[in-house]
Amino acid sequence: MSMIDIYFTLINGLATGMAVFLVAAGLTLIFGILKILNFAHGSFFMIGAYVAYTIVGSNPGSIWMFVIAAIGGGLVVGALGYVTDRLVLSRLRNVDEAYMLIATFAVLLVCTGVVKMIWGVNYASVTPPPTLDGALIVGALFVPTYSIFVIIAGLLVFVALELAIHRTWLGKLLQSVANDSWMSGLLGINVPLALTATAIVSFMLAGLAGGLLLANQTLSPILGESYLLLAFMAVVIGGLGSVRGAFIAASLLGIIESGSSLFLPNMPGMATYVFVILFLLAKPQGLLGGDRI
Amino acid sequence: MNSAKIIALIVSAATFVTLPYWANQGIMFLAGLVLIEAIFALSWNLLFGFTGLASFGHAAFFAIGAYLTGYALRAALGVPFLLLILASGVLGAAAAVVVGVVLLRRTTGIHLAIFTLALAEVLRIIIGYSTALGREDGLASIPRPSLELGFMTISLNSGTSYYWFLCVAFALVAWLMWVVCHGAFGRILVSIRQDPERASFVGVNVPAYRLTAFTISGGVAAVSGALYAPWAQIVTPESAHWIHSTQPMLASLLGGAHSFFGPIIGTVLFSLINYLTRNLVGLSELVIGVTLLVIVLAAPSGVAGLFKALRTSYATKPGAGAQREAS
Amino acid sequence: MSGFLNVAGVHKSYGAHHVLKGIDLDVGQGETFAIIGPNGAGKTTLFRVMTGEVAFEKGTITYDGRDVTRTSAYERVRLGMGRTFQVARIFPDVTVEENIVVTIEARGRAARDGTAPWYRVKPSGSLVDEAHGYLSDLGLLAKKDVEAKFLSHGDKKRLELGIALAGRPRILMLDEPTAGMSPMDRSATIELIRDLRARKNMTVVMTEHDMDVIFGLATRILVMHHGETIAVGTIEEVSNNPVVREVYLGEEMYGAEG
Repeated sequence: MSMIDIYFTLINGLATGMAVFLVAAGLTLIFGILKILNFAHGSFFMIGAYVAYTIVGSNPGSIWMFVIAAIGGGLVVGALGYVTDRLVLSRLRNVDEAYMLIATFAVLLVCTGVVKMIWGVNYASVTPPPTLDGALIVGALFVPTYSIFVIIAGLLVFVALELAIHRTWLGKLLQSVANDSWMSGLLGINVPLALTATAIVSFMLAGLAGGLLLANQTLSPILGESYLLLAFMAVVIGGLGSVRGAFIAASLLGIIESGSSLFLPNMPGMATYVFVILFLLAKPQGLLGGDRI
Repeated sequence: MNSAKIIALIVSAATFVTLPYWANQGIMFLAGLVLIEAIFALSWNLLFGFTGLASFGHAAFFAIGAYLTGYALRAALGVPFLLLILASGVLGAAAAVVVGVVLLRRTTGIHLAIFTLALAEVLRIIIGYSTALGREDGLASIPRPSLELGFMTISLNSGTSYYWFLCVAFALVAWLMWVVCHGAFGRILVSIRQDPERASFVGVNVPAYRLTAFTISGGVAAVSGALYAPWAQIVTPESAHWIHSTQPMLASLLGGAHSFFGPIIGTVLFSLINYLTRNLVGLSELVIGVTLLVIVLAAPSGVAGLFKALRTSYATKPGAGAQREAS
Repeated sequence: MSGFLNVAGVHKSYGAHHVLKGIDLDVGQGETFAIIGPNGAGKTTLFRVMTGEVAFEKGTITYDGRDVTRTSAYERVRLGMGRTFQVARIFPDVTVEENIVVTIEARGRAARDGTAPWYRVKPSGSLVDEAHGYLSDLGLLAKKDVEAKFLSHGDKKRLELGIALAGRPRILMLDEPTAGMSPMDRSATIELIRDLRARKNMTVVMTEHDMDVIFGLATRILVMHHGETIAVGTIEEVSNNPVVREVYLGEEMYGAEG
């Protein structure tokens, strides 16, 4: 094994990690504020991907078209988030944890069903736009441009969320709701509105992630599951509800996943799950647990 | 049990037992799967509905039983089939003890869910890697065994005879689970589900009871896997997949998790929906999803609870809303 | 160190915050011992230390001559320590009768009639009779088939007392037994506890805010303030104690109630 392998593993891992974070961001946000572990998040990720695919087709002409399609996916899924919140999530505010999981699982089934009915069960694939189809060659190191794109996208989303949560009025309001929604209500904050807004933003993030990660994957009705598990693990390891924690955990998991395909090529995912189990045994509350977002 | 329940029980038992006489092979196969998955769902619901623990990796126990039995039958080791089923149960229970000792001490709720899910996925990956277990292709063409009862030997080679064997096995396991759930042990589990702290203050060793329930549940899930291997005659790593772990949850919630028969009713309904919507891709997920949503949002006690509620409001007397738990 | 329940030198802190600073107390058999003090004095923590819910840094707990410092809560219950909570904790989804039945069964194999065959799921007749006995003591027998969550607040409190009694306690730990009750329910509860403790020969330890309840029941009182004992003794002794008058009774008895 050479240094090149290590660099490659790291960059690949970061790309995977940022992809996981793009999915985990919305998941952790909705948990932090609505206290709902949303099983359907992966499905909305998938719907975002399908919508973006419908907009750009299999061979996107330019990076701009690609990004616009992703934003389109985000907007459509954000709208679905509003509908889901009104119809389902808002009725789950004070229900037992287990029922929330089952309800969001039911939403997952509905999404899978609808996707199958609209787009069929056949596989589709999308190539990256021309600008992102190549690779950057630095010495002996070969880095796919698309990986760089995903890493940048992940970082941008992270920075945007951090700024929004810690620097804006809305973010502070959401933080107070996350800490103590009852007290916030007493202080005159429109808690239901804040919760709905969170749902919309969280779903938008899922849809956006679907569009941004559209290339180089097989689009099929089981797409949602692939990232969902990793994103779940990232959210739990990061500390339920913490965006920063999810970011760190997703990066870690990405690097472990990528390292594991270097060292244990026959057991995809093994190292990740073992890591998750050991980590949670040692630190059940996660990296940055608590009532922060 | 009231008379309506006994009639329903007799009618459904008769339907299942006589099924080979009036239904085709395909439906008989599905009915056999329903019996197996119903046992699996009962095992899961012992944890969820009765003890208040949610395992998200229960398929791992199912897979342990299925692979053990499948492997032994293919290798033609000559171990009697009943002993194989028992061994599967013991292995599943042993695995559950190990997992339970490590996990139940400190985790419940979401953490337990993630742990069990991750462990099950690890098992699936290991199975997919193991050449002896057929890697991703699994174990195919598993032969159906004979039943050696000492005084006679019954061949279960034909689909029909194995189907009837499944009926008997189901009845036995379901009866055992019924005793477990409704006796003093079950009452103590239910008290833990309702309020673990209160339970420890009536003198219940809560961790020990949780571990015991987890062990029984793992063992019974493995038994359902053991029954599955010769019925499907193929076992793949998919049987350990987390999607399979969600089957008993959906069935239990659909049927009613706080009722003993809920998971069974749910499994039947689930299969019926799947069967009736088989011609339109995506429709089964849509129907099951919407049904579940309606149940969770409108009638969280499931279909069994719905029946109970209807019956109660039918016979409304003062205080009739406060009848005891359906059991 | 001769008493029935003995607490010696217990320290407990949450981080830098010292909640109990070396508490000693000694409850004799048959006593009704009340722990009082302003909010934040450490009463609840002390109570939870005695029941085995809270781990602490220093000190020992002795119960009936045996060291139970490291004995877990459920084992203390099995040694004869019954407990009720400030907000009644019952099993809401089952009937009143089953609340008591499960408590008796939790006492162990003998209580659930170890001779019954394993597949018999119904509790034995004698067990049900015993359960009905507690329910009639508490005036709940008529409601035995009601799901416990539908009970009124007062009935829930009574049922919880029944749950505690069904464990056949020798010492009853009552955490604010009359919290949230109407004055009428309150005096009925005082009567009930007085009657039960006499008939069942029980020792009682309780925390309480309400002075009528304390005067009506307690044989001895411990007054806490900032995690320390400032006085122990009979009602007269304590109410004549100048320190107590200053820091506690001054505010509570003659000031605002609660």
